[in-house]
Amino acid sequence: MFKRSGTGNFAYTSSRVKAKKSKLLKAEDYNKLQAMSVPEISRYISESGYSKEMTDLAGMHDGLELVEYATYGNMAKAFRSILGAASGDCKNMVGAYLKKWDYINALTILRGKRYGLPLDEIRGDLVVAGYLNMEDFEKLMQMANVEDILASFCNLMHIRIPEEVLAVYKAQSDLAPVEDALVITYYEDLLASVKGNDRPTTVFRNYVRSVIDVKNIETLLKFKIEKVDAEVGMKFFIKGGREIDEKLMSQYLNTPDVPTLLNDLQQLKMYADIKDYVSADTDVIGAISALSHYQSDLAESVSALYPLSVLPVVDYMLRKEAEVKNIRMIAYGINAGLDPAVIKEMLVI
Amino acid sequence: MDASQAGLVAIGAGLAVGLAGIGAGLGEKDIGAAAVGAITEDGSLFGKGMIFTVMPETIVIFGLVIAIMALFVL
Repeated sequence: MFKRSGTGNFAYTSSRVKAKKSKLLKAEDYNKLQAMSVPEISRYISESGYSKEMTDLAGMHDGLELVEYATYGNMAKAFRSILGAASGDCKNMVGAYLKKWDYINALTILRGKRYGLPLDEIRGDLVVAGYLNMEDFEKLMQMANVEDILASFCNLMHIRIPEEVLAVYKAQSDLAPVEDALVITYYEDLLASVKGNDRPTTVFRNYVRSVIDVKNIETLLKFKIEKVDAEVGMKFFIKGGREIDEKLMSQYLNTPDVPTLLNDLQQLKMYADIKDYVSADTDVIGAISALSHYQSDLAESVSALYPLSVLPVVDYMLRKEAEVKNIRMIAYGINAGLDPAVIKEMLVI
Repeated sequence: MDASQAGLVAIGAGLAVGLAGIGAGLGEKDIGAAAVGAITEDGSLFGKGMIFTVMPETIVIFGLVIAIMALFVL
């Protein structure tokens, strides 16, 4: 009776994120942003919760760079404040979810080091919103080669990258298999960290498994749209999905084209929710945007089911991430002279 | 009413208030935590948070009424 919502402070954390969520930009704000220039966007977001980051960074950056750094800085601060406020099971689950940013940062460092970028440039692209702090990333950046960075990162995160992946990197200096292995490890690690059989935890586990399905469908659509060999696709398969297992993935990868794939996907329960967003002539960007919409809607619907769980927190994090991406997309789109209708299509609201 | 009957009535009255208090406390635990979380983000929610937090206290009033009735009316 006393442990019905786990050992974490779910009520406190959920209520904080709901208050934060109410302050996010609304659809009408995005309409306004699309009619603005980049400096006007900077000014508008300064008055919408990004003021501290905009003021702090205004001396070092301007234009698009300022918008990019300020929005990511604000997001990192918001996520770390949630992680700091959470405790017990709630902190464990939020932390496991936020490890995504540690993996993204590790990939940024690996790529930067591989292609010899200056440390300042790599540092500027890091979003310290996860389990590791800036000191950890500084240590990684100071390392001389990719193998050392990878070994150190694996130690910090308590993960293991398959030997064959490392062998491919050593033989061909190709970072792609390492990157794919890290992405797969993140999702498998996240799924493994969701322990417990109470109802909210089970719903969260099912949500994570649905997200894995979404990632697998994203891979399928990308491969079919770009007509890549089916055998290569299985290397990108993430285990643990709710509906797509290894056999089904292989079957889908062997479909001849996108319309056949979409036809076959109809047997999935989740297809009913994504069918409005994808069609036979969907391109890769459209497919990714469609699945982001689905993921966002899914998080919102499950967060309403169990308010005293980690689900509202995940819902907020997805919304915040979408907001930051939307602001950047509008700023970059306007700067590149893109048609407002094209920009609007790419937004996740 | 003999002494043992009066004692049972007193125990009943105590249970009415005590159990109602425990129930209200359990209810207020999550509501209070949620209210503090909301107030941390937005100070203007203090009034609403306070009202929701004290709502389960009404149950204690019911318990108190039953206790008074048991002691003085019945």
